[in-house]
Amino acid sequence: MSLTRTNARREFLQSAAVLAGAVAWPSWMPRLSFAPAQAAPRGDTLVVVFLRGAADTLNIVVPHGEAAYYDRRPTLGIPRPDDQHAPQKLRAINLDGFFGLHPNLAPLMPAWQAGHLAPIHACGAPDESRSHFRAMELMERGVGDERGPASGWIGRHLATLNTGNHSPLRAVGLGQLPQRSLSGAVPVSALRSIADFHLGGNAQAVGQMQAALTSLYAGSEPLSVVGQETLGILDTLQTLDPLGYAPAHSARYPDSDFGLGLRQVAMLVKAEVGLEVAAIDVGGWDTHFAQGGSEGQMANLLANLGQGLAALHADLFDYANRLTVVTMSEFGRRVQENGSLGTDHGHGSLMLLMGGHVAGGQVNGKWPGLRPEQLVGPGDLAVTTDYRDVLAEVCLKRLNNPAMGDIFPGYAATPRGFLTAGV
Amino acid sequence: MPPSRQLTRRDFLRLAGLVSASAVVAACAPAYAHLGGQPEPDLTGPLPALGSAVFTALSRLTFGPRLAERERAAAIGLAGWIEEQLAPETLDDRPAEVRLRQFETLNMSAADLADRSSKLPDEVDRLGVPAELRQATLMRQVYSRRQLFEGLAEFWTDHFNISVEKGDCYFLKTVDDREVIRPHALGRFHDLLWASAHSPAMLTYLDNQANIKGAPNENYAREVMELHTLSVNGGYTQLDVMELARALTGWTVKQHLWRGQFTFDPTQHDDQPKTVLGLLLSPDGQREAERALDRLAGHPATAAFIAAKLARRFLGDAAPPAIVEKARRAFENTQGDIKAVLRPILLDGLLGAGAQAAPKFKRPVNFIGSALRQLNAETDGGPALHDYLAHMGQAYYGWPTPDGYPDHDAPWSGNLLPRWQFALALSRGEIKGTTFNQSLAAAQPPETFTDELARLLLGQPLPAAGRDGLLASLRAAGAGAAELPAIIAAGLLAAPAFQWR
Repeated sequence: MSLTRTNARREFLQSAAVLAGAVAWPSWMPRLSFAPAQAAPRGDTLVVVFLRGAADTLNIVVPHGEAAYYDRRPTLGIPRPDDQHAPQKLRAINLDGFFGLHPNLAPLMPAWQAGHLAPIHACGAPDESRSHFRAMELMERGVGDERGPASGWIGRHLATLNTGNHSPLRAVGLGQLPQRSLSGAVPVSALRSIADFHLGGNAQAVGQMQAALTSLYAGSEPLSVVGQETLGILDTLQTLDPLGYAPAHSARYPDSDFGLGLRQVAMLVKAEVGLEVAAIDVGGWDTHFAQGGSEGQMANLLANLGQGLAALHADLFDYANRLTVVTMSEFGRRVQENGSLGTDHGHGSLMLLMGGHVAGGQVNGKWPGLRPEQLVGPGDLAVTTDYRDVLAEVCLKRLNNPAMGDIFPGYAATPRGFLTAGV
Repeated sequence: MPPSRQLTRRDFLRLAGLVSASAVVAACAPAYAHLGGQPEPDLTGPLPALGSAVFTALSRLTFGPRLAERERAAAIGLAGWIEEQLAPETLDDRPAEVRLRQFETLNMSAADLADRSSKLPDEVDRLGVPAELRQATLMRQVYSRRQLFEGLAEFWTDHFNISVEKGDCYFLKTVDDREVIRPHALGRFHDLLWASAHSPAMLTYLDNQANIKGAPNENYAREVMELHTLSVNGGYTQLDVMELARALTGWTVKQHLWRGQFTFDPTQHDDQPKTVLGLLLSPDGQREAERALDRLAGHPATAAFIAAKLARRFLGDAAPPAIVEKARRAFENTQGDIKAVLRPILLDGLLGAGAQAAPKFKRPVNFIGSALRQLNAETDGGPALHDYLAHMGQAYYGWPTPDGYPDHDAPWSGNLLPRWQFALALSRGEIKGTTFNQSLAAAQPPETFTDELARLLLGQPLPAAGRDGLLASLRAAGAGAAELPAIIAAGLLAAPAFQWR
């Protein structure tokens, strides 16, 4: 449908009527080329999901094989998969005999079984401030401490990789403003919804403006070509009907900002409008009070997360080999639950990779253990995998960007085999 | 096509009507007018030809030429106009200054700015002070008669880039703008570099607070050579970076009493000898790095780098090597007098090229500035415009990396949609705090209106066939007489030609 419209526009542009009406620009109009000398091949579309507030990752991928986990979480612990005292639906879903998924992440099991889901336990940053603001800032900048560039790691990835892609939708931050991680890339579009990619104003004015732009940008010099591309994307997006969109493979996105955001990401991927990176946030994870276990506050957040990721996986199943989804959070939470049925700020966290080329069907990373002597600081999970090792491997193997030193300055990233290269 | 034609008085009155100030400005006009400055154009005689060479040059020298500026430059000649601009203190700027009086943070000390930002316990307002600086900057760019000076202030803001997103820079940048960039924008490069090196905002932005004896941080030491002076191939080595970093240990910013003031902390200073670029720095505290700064400011690589960068700003991505060389020699002969470096670039390079000057893609700042100035819009310079700038990719004081917003064409060319959105919204009067008057347009045939608007925005009318094609496609899209003026204005602002300066 969208392609038909785009072709129709091209034919329209080539029609004699339009050429006769096209504005012939004066000779001083520049005919400079924007075309890059050498363009790298585009890799996957990358979707980065950031769980804001430091998610309690021990209750996301549950170490049910650790006795210490249940000792320290008498009320918040997720029951073992074989715990006969708990109803089936409240128990962890066994993954490998030691780890299990929170029961509300059951929608992710098809992705796990397809080998498309790779949790990496005990991930994190060297920063031990346990401050949300500081940890999020450093992680989005991709730096170990406050020194170093103020730009974001995704911004530096985009700035160092020339894919010859001039789409205004090359990098999209879902939300009011682009995420800090995207900072440093030009252009970045902040998109609350696909409806934002619109000229603005009423339908009549928009129609007239499009007529003016079609006439004004009918030339063949490079800027006109960029303009025609943008008009084409406007056309394509106008044919997308966010309300009437029918996801593939019976995928069902949750009716939340997160679900709506992922749905739009999927629509952009399918519309082939040049999307390389999308960043999306999910908030509410700072569960100091009444966190809940298999049910409750955090369980509801996980239902939304699980349903959203599972819907994206199913909807884009045919694109799985060109898609990598990274879910991350600024740090983990204390192993010992607190006196308010919640958890306090901790250290080691979890990253969740999803896509056709992840080391799926297994829980990755080196598990540091939960016994007192194995914990760090005030009783927190240790970090055994620097988050930058994971992201650098994503850039290297899935985005075709070998400039790891530029993306993560001052850090010698080590790929750990959490992903494979190729198509 | 001839670059222009003589405008008859009647033509001019129509043109003036088209861009006449909005009701608000009209009411205020006498108040500003009595403050002096350039007289408004004399309406009794014929207007001088406003050739496209004048338009091209002024587009490069201003944030978008106002009619009065085209008039003045045509009357006294471009060379004379440039000399006027190179002496900004002789240009009465009270009309702009009056508009800036509302921004009280512009003149506050760092400590007062910090206090003001943290009135509530446990809550810091990191947005208020930068928002006022952004608003003031846009107002200056739109309203100041010292256009070349404002352009140079913007140039050095990028050259000595500081992001308000980093640490205390959210309030320190206001001080940096006032005490580093603006006093020296047309002064001596050495003084500018010196002020920047002592600027708490710069030391914070590039981590020199963390640069201490025994644990040096090379960030500022590297960038001051790579980005501010010698350039990346300017002949320094990693050893020079490490030695300069050691010389800069102890250069820091006060944190509590006198927060935000520069200070040298001798207890954190590495007092072993260092050698930077062959210059032996004997133990001498703060003076060590200052001697290195003197050396950097006068280094031949610095002269070449600054000359080439200034030339690119005014002459485009491919500035003629002969002009760059002349500018470089001017830098060396005058010990970095910025005005002397600019003269060959502007008088020989820009004027020599005439209407054939290589085109330069407008950055978002120039796009918005030229739309507002050339339409004689009235604006508060407020948040609505900065939202557009952010969407276009150039939020003021928001570039994260120390290289400043890119000044070559390619990075900006892909993001047309926000420019189109701005064009449509401005022409329909839908931008909060910004208006322009187009009431007289309705009385004219659309062809005449289009020609006059094109002369205003593009320096010359569209070719007749193009103009008629545009009008035909608008009428085919259902635009009636009442809607045509706004949509024509939107179209011309959004047009490829208006994206170049």
